Amino acid sequence: MSIKFYLPILLLLLCSFSVSAQNKFTLSGTIRDASSGETLIGATVKISGPANAGTLTNNYGYFALTQTEGTYTVTISYTGFVPITKSINLNKDTKLNEELKSTNDLAEVTVNANNRKNENVKSAQMGLERIDMKSLNSIPVLLGEKDVLKTIQLLPGVKSGGEGNTGFYVRGGAADQNLIILDEAVVYNSSHLLGFFSTFNADAIKDVSLYKGGMPAQYGGRLSSVLDVKMDDGNNKEFKFQGGIGLIASRLKAEGPIVKDKGSFMVSFRRTYIDLFLRASPDSSINGSTLNFYDINAKANYKINDKNTIYISGYFGKDNIGVKDLFENNWGNVTTTVRLNHIFNDRLFSNTSLIYNNYNYTVRLLNDVTNFKATSLVRDFNFKEDFQYFSNQHTLRFGLNATHHRISPIDITTTSEESQVNPLAQEKRYGLESAAYVSDEWAVNDKLNFLYGVRVAAFSLLGPGNFSEYDADGNIDQTDQVSSGKFYKNYLNLEPRFSVSYLFNERNSIKASYNRNTQNIHILTNATSSSPTDQYVLSSNNIKPEIADQVALGYFKNLDENNYELSGEVYYKWMQNQIDYKNAAQLLANSNVESELLYGTGRAYGLELFFKKKFGKLNGWVGYTLSRTERKFAQLNNGNYFPARQDRTHDVSVVGIYNLNQRWTFSSSFIYSTGNAVTFPAGKYIVGGQTVYYYTERNAGRMPYNMRLDLSATLEGKRKGRFQSSWNFGVYNALNRKNPYSIEFINDPNEPGRTAAEQTSLFGIIPSVTWNFKF
Amino acid sequence: MATIGLTSCKKIIQIDTNNAEPQLVIEGKISDRLVEQQILISKTVGYDEKGVYPKVSGATVKVSDNSGKIYVFAEKSPGIYVNRMRGVSGITYKMEVTVEGKNYQASSKMPNHVKLDSIGVITNNFFGNERKTAAAFLVDPANENNFYRFNLYVNGLFSDRIYVNNDRLTNGNNLRIQLYYEANDDDDEGLKSGDNISVEMEGIDSNIFNYWYALSEQSGGGPNQGTTPSNPTSNISNGALGYFSAHTFQRLSTTVK
Repeated sequence: MSIKFYLPILLLLLCSFSVSAQNKFTLSGTIRDASSGETLIGATVKISGPANAGTLTNNYGYFALTQTEGTYTVTISYTGFVPITKSINLNKDTKLNEELKSTNDLAEVTVNANNRKNENVKSAQMGLERIDMKSLNSIPVLLGEKDVLKTIQLLPGVKSGGEGNTGFYVRGGAADQNLIILDEAVVYNSSHLLGFFSTFNADAIKDVSLYKGGMPAQYGGRLSSVLDVKMDDGNNKEFKFQGGIGLIASRLKAEGPIVKDKGSFMVSFRRTYIDLFLRASPDSSINGSTLNFYDINAKANYKINDKNTIYISGYFGKDNIGVKDLFENNWGNVTTTVRLNHIFNDRLFSNTSLIYNNYNYTVRLLNDVTNFKATSLVRDFNFKEDFQYFSNQHTLRFGLNATHHRISPIDITTTSEESQVNPLAQEKRYGLESAAYVSDEWAVNDKLNFLYGVRVAAFSLLGPGNFSEYDADGNIDQTDQVSSGKFYKNYLNLEPRFSVSYLFNERNSIKASYNRNTQNIHILTNATSSSPTDQYVLSSNNIKPEIADQVALGYFKNLDENNYELSGEVYYKWMQNQIDYKNAAQLLANSNVESELLYGTGRAYGLELFFKKKFGKLNGWVGYTLSRTERKFAQLNNGNYFPARQDRTHDVSVVGIYNLNQRWTFSSSFIYSTGNAVTFPAGKYIVGGQTVYYYTERNAGRMPYNMRLDLSATLEGKRKGRFQSSWNFGVYNALNRKNPYSIEFINDPNEPGRTAAEQTSLFGIIPSVTWNFKF
Repeated sequence: MATIGLTSCKKIIQIDTNNAEPQLVIEGKISDRLVEQQILISKTVGYDEKGVYPKVSGATVKVSDNSGKIYVFAEKSPGIYVNRMRGVSGITYKMEVTVEGKNYQASSKMPNHVKLDSIGVITNNFFGNERKTAAAFLVDPANENNFYRFNLYVNGLFSDRIYVNNDRLTNGNNLRIQLYYEANDDDDEGLKSGDNISVEMEGIDSNIFNYWYALSEQSGGGPNQGTTPSNPTSNISNGALGYFSAHTFQRLSTTVK
């Protein structure tokens, strides 16, 4: 793409800042929760008077507004909190740090209609879903483990990988095309226990935002979505404990001030104990089996002075699965983030982050002759510098980002003399991803908002290493030996991002967006479901950066004083350099794995309808997605488009939460979706004494549809002093529907010689109970 | 996972698929034994048809080697074409089949002979149950890439499972290759004392390994069991299904104690 394409964006950026700042002053500050001192992300700050303006607090609860001198009425509001209204005489740069009281802490609060925000209508941002942690806690889930990832899969445009599959799919993207970050650190594997639970312990989570499209320029590196998860900072006023005891897992969280009102910490721990039941088994091989996971979230922050705050946060998680004398498998993520918020002046806010994260797994086979241990690691060091500049109509963001990747694909060692497996250390791969971005959120007037910017994403494949090129049959054409530190292959991509909203009035708007995303780290798996041992590869001389261009158009409407939100979005996405696999591809422990790959394109399009009731005794939402996602590879399906596995025509989700009274809350979720696109045989034949199936079109068949109703009830116990407890009762798959997990073709037991399709389902109806407490 | 095990369940369902037009299937094998080598020609049937596969008669079938020698295969019974000959390691054999006005060609190089030293029965502890498994013992040559296919017969019945191995991670070692066996009943215990087992080992070329490996990766033939199913890459030209393999062959038998 030529510079011509970007010129208008640059001009827009430059022109829009040539506004003079005569007699203008800045109102800035941090908004917090009065009970815990937690900063509030996305709180609304509105001023009215000589001029009207409004903004949202950033990820650290900070805001800044610049206006002409005068007396203003300031209103600060946040869902679930009592708004504050103040009068301010803006005759100099003014600090306004406020704390909002939660409506929970008050006996009776009628939510004032003025407090109901219409941010969904007004903001230029499209394709953004923010998960309210309060409603998350009442949505029913498997075995009572409230779960961020399972909840986002109830939103339109987000498809679950299905039972027993780790992945989720956003607007036709693949499971590895989601950028999942926890306090800015990439979480490579976001699942526990083969996908039944996510790595995000809801106790420790403060805010979850999912971008399905229109990603702002500060995010990059994945094609489909951004799931930005932020941990709690910890209560900086008093010590608090909370926890829960469930059927399969228990949780405990402690938080409190380090120095009151200046610093706090939070530590949260979760562990499953299924293997304790296994241990109770009299059977020696079962009681020697392991099946558990744990995770620890920890965070501390300290406000050094009014201008500087430091945050340190970390996540450590591990899964262990093993069968005595057969195998052991463990995997886990580690993330560490050190951040410094610095306020240069009222208008310029910066954040510097140093991030370390890794994902690793180990597989051990314990059989005497096939004895080996295989380990694999992805490790990143990441430096980020982000700036936010607040002017009266603009919020400008710009920054830099550099990530160093190291991938150790596999290291095989043997531990016994008889082992017939040879030790193997597959070459490590090194890469440097660097990016610079600038974006501007521009409120042109009361009706028109722009959010536009550009991200420049560079990727370099670094030495040392031997890099090969392959012919069509997968034979090595040539190999380059590259020494340490050399930049072997470089890619540069410009990623324009553009969103606009136009408000017809306070309750109706239309929005449009275009964005390009690129991706340089890819998962290789030719299995139809994801697993912890999936292999990561970097872009290379063979693998080109994946590219996606997405356009979206939406209509947003709020009804009944913002009580109801209604939206419809359509999108179309083009994908380039997508990866698939040759027949009989051997992906693991293969130094020439890149010879097994096929490259193609993809397209995805759809309509998403969303209706949400936000307030009142009964709230919840209905989501519907009509979509199609297809891939095209010269070597597959005769070079024609075929549906991707996660292509599902219809996807419906209904979530209802009913607050009967102060003590009882009932909730339910219902999902229906078209079955996955799969390849069914069209014929059969005999070779080598085996019945072999003949296939014609790829993924032209359909699994049976999925349908599930989950129910939950929460009983709040009476408060005894500081101590408060609640019971959560849940029923997963209340209709006891046998949802398809897999289909196998077998000899028809009723009619020999004919073929029958045998479906396997995982879960029937599963009840659960969890006891939660806090003090 | 105990919960999962308890609640998982299976049922027969109806699927919606089209029956494909019959396709030509050629399965040609040349071994290093002096026997009637067979080339089988048949056709596919539709997915929901009975598994009676039409034999294809009247084909012209010949095999030539790289020294120019030609072996003409005669139709012994419908769809079965034979020639009594012996293949030799290191020789590339070329098959040519002309049938129904179309010509199909394939070639395969017979690998070097690797000795099947012995077969035996291994007892494993599998989830608390003692389970007997047949095993083949051999020494993999270090100086070349080797590919093996095994056939297992239990009491004369062919085990309907694909056993293929390569030496990518085990090159040059003493190998004990276990051939997991499931009888076609639900309360299966694997091999039992007194069972008679026979193991055939074929030393195959890389194309044939890929053919069987692709099939084994999609075993179960259904979604979510492995890779997305597709037709394995055939070494035969012109769109025929099946394969042509020149391979070494050995067979050993024993009785389970």
